[in-house]
Amino acid sequence: MNIYRTRTALCIAMLSLLLGGCDSSSTPGEATSPASGESSLTGEIKINGSSTVLPIANAVKEQFDAEFPNVDITVGGAGTGNGFNEFAEKTIDISDASRPIKPGEVAACREGGVAFVELPIAYDGLTLVVHPDNDWVEQLTIDQLKQIFVAGGGVDKWSDVDPSWPDREIKIFAPGVGSGTYDYFHEVLAKEDKRQLREDMTLNEDDNVLVQGVAGNKDSIGFFGVAYYEENQDKLRPVPVVNPELNEAIVPNKETIASGQYAPFSRPLFIYVNAESLNKAQVQTFVEYFLEKAPETAERVGYVRLPEPVLSRAIENFEAVKTGTHFVDAQGNSRSGSVTEIFTEDNLVSS
Amino acid sequence: MTMPAALQRDDANDQAAKAGRRKLISRWFYLLCIAIAMLSVLVLAVLLISISVQGGSRLSVDLLTNAHSELHPEQAGMWPAIVGTLFVCGVCALVALPLGVGTAVFLEEFKPRRPELRVLRRWIPLGQRRWDGVCTGLYKAMRGLHGFVQLNISNLAGVPSIVYGLLGLSVFVYMFNVFGQITVNESAGLELAGVRHYYQVLTLQRGEVVLIPQQDLQQATITVTEPVEAMLPSGERVTLSLWKPGTEKPTEPELRRRTVREGATGGRYSQKDWYYFRLPLGRSFLAAGLTLALVILPVVIIASQEALRGVPPSMREASLGLGATTWQTTRNVCLPAALPGILTGSILSMGRAIGEAAPILVVLGAAIAKNSGPQHLMDDAVTMPVLIYNWAGRQQQVYQELAAAAIIVLLVILLLVNSLAIYLRQRLRQT
Repeated sequence: MNIYRTRTALCIAMLSLLLGGCDSSSTPGEATSPASGESSLTGEIKINGSSTVLPIANAVKEQFDAEFPNVDITVGGAGTGNGFNEFAEKTIDISDASRPIKPGEVAACREGGVAFVELPIAYDGLTLVVHPDNDWVEQLTIDQLKQIFVAGGGVDKWSDVDPSWPDREIKIFAPGVGSGTYDYFHEVLAKEDKRQLREDMTLNEDDNVLVQGVAGNKDSIGFFGVAYYEENQDKLRPVPVVNPELNEAIVPNKETIASGQYAPFSRPLFIYVNAESLNKAQVQTFVEYFLEKAPETAERVGYVRLPEPVLSRAIENFEAVKTGTHFVDAQGNSRSGSVTEIFTEDNLVSS
Repeated sequence: MTMPAALQRDDANDQAAKAGRRKLISRWFYLLCIAIAMLSVLVLAVLLISISVQGGSRLSVDLLTNAHSELHPEQAGMWPAIVGTLFVCGVCALVALPLGVGTAVFLEEFKPRRPELRVLRRWIPLGQRRWDGVCTGLYKAMRGLHGFVQLNISNLAGVPSIVYGLLGLSVFVYMFNVFGQITVNESAGLELAGVRHYYQVLTLQRGEVVLIPQQDLQQATITVTEPVEAMLPSGERVTLSLWKPGTEKPTEPELRRRTVREGATGGRYSQKDWYYFRLPLGRSFLAAGLTLALVILPVVIIASQEALRGVPPSMREASLGLGATTWQTTRNVCLPAALPGILTGSILSMGRAIGEAAPILVVLGAAIAKNSGPQHLMDDAVTMPVLIYNWAGRQQQVYQELAAAAIIVLLVILLLVNSLAIYLRQRLRQT
């Protein structure tokens, strides 16, 4: 008798976990019989890519969920590069990107047979920050930034950049090499000269760590997205960057980023949509919704809305399903410049 | 006459002094032990207090019932994560516990003995000495196998869990691409059960769709050019009516619901029952559970082995002496006697599984914005450690507090699971 009771008890112990949860999953009819007034749109959408775009994508998803509760959307934040890898392998419908697609990625998509629609959705500004007690740096030029951040710049101390600055070592905090933020910074400062960013920086994918790092050291400098700066305004001081064309130091804020004055450190954010997935009713509806909500949502989560002409062209491209990229020309070279200049009909190279 | 030195040392006063000192040392040692034991309690107390201070204000019903929210963090919750964790750990327990206990039984109860091979001896004339050689060889091979398995398990117990994550990724999630890669439009792998394929097409009524049964699985999209049979979301079968762009749109909602723009396209939609099953497993809670099972399997095996080793040999021998087979002895004597120990090991390993984040991050990815628990066997899940990891890494104060509150919930759930197992163990001991 004892043995039987023992065994029963053991079985209950093992099964209770699963059975307890299972009934919530055993309601297959739920998805197909919506309550009145609820949309019957259903299906899955898989999204992955930039962790910078993630907050916008998640916020749009959240609003979308309220209206179309039966659509199952998965949003990952594995990084722009990883996102494009999966995109080319056709395992996701939408790739979030914090930089335009690269020639190699265009080639990978072509090879995998993925045609895509390129849609800019918002601006992000890279903010250079220093410790609030740093009273020597008032502005930085691109040349000074190159000295500080590019490998072989010959600068270890603040005094190496400007003799009037203190004779102390510069501590640098930067986002990890897998992030689009790092890529963008590298592109602006070092790519033209075919150089690399220096390797003795403190790199971390977690922007929180960077904030702590810069806030904890008087001789430090760092950079990350403007959204993170806005969350930590009391702990950090942003450094105005001299716009090489205007020859004027510009403070990063919503106005200067949207107007394009804060150059070259404001960057566009994109979503790339698999054109074949656009045949799916749920993806079509979601992207339409995304473009509609993007300006407002971007501002809510700390980014900057796109200028109206760019946005309306994005909507136009989406509606006509114009595939291809504007940022890589027919010879396979990246174009550089602001979105307003590049995102035009003439530059579209179809994929 | 003076006393010899040897006797002097036995002087009563002297002895009393020595005894006093020894007792003093003993008492100090006792206090030291208490202090060391208290240290772990202190660490736990500090942890609990600091977390409660940080997250106490966020402990609410919302936290337990809502899903993660980006726009309204003050209302964010962890219900999908709680359900997800229970599912993942449930799969883990269902796989790891039987396998683990089974392996332990094999290693402890079915130790190699020198085989007899009487039947063979009668049929194959080899001679007594040769047969002795064969039997000894077999015995050595069996012992080698035992030792090999044992060695592997001991090694596996020390492997970092992230390594299991990568293993799980290629074995369960992709299955080495043997069954093809799962893509969003073309291939869904090898689907075995619980799925019906349709094309989903938008109707003129905003937000309403119709489903057209998919005949050819290779064709990912459909273009509606003629009135075809379709299914309304309610399950009702209708013939679609078409609307030509340029002509007047129907206004009546009922009609709009079954009217599709001519030339409208529809993508593939798979309607899945809860028992939907396909290979490879993809980024599903099943794959995550199996991966976690790999992580805790060595721990379960080693704990169960210890428990079985603790069963007095006399009990085992008595059972065998009464003529019971090895299986009968194992089932009726050894396992019941070892059950409390096995359960203790299982509790500890399940605790580890619930708190494990690294392999889950590899297998399921870091997506946290899921509104429900898994809906079918191949659905993905959010787990509590991943949610906490994500929240704790965010800038906003609210999420930091939410992370602390979520840790409290995780600890409480852990305690609940543990106390259930402890209760069962106590009851088993009494019987």
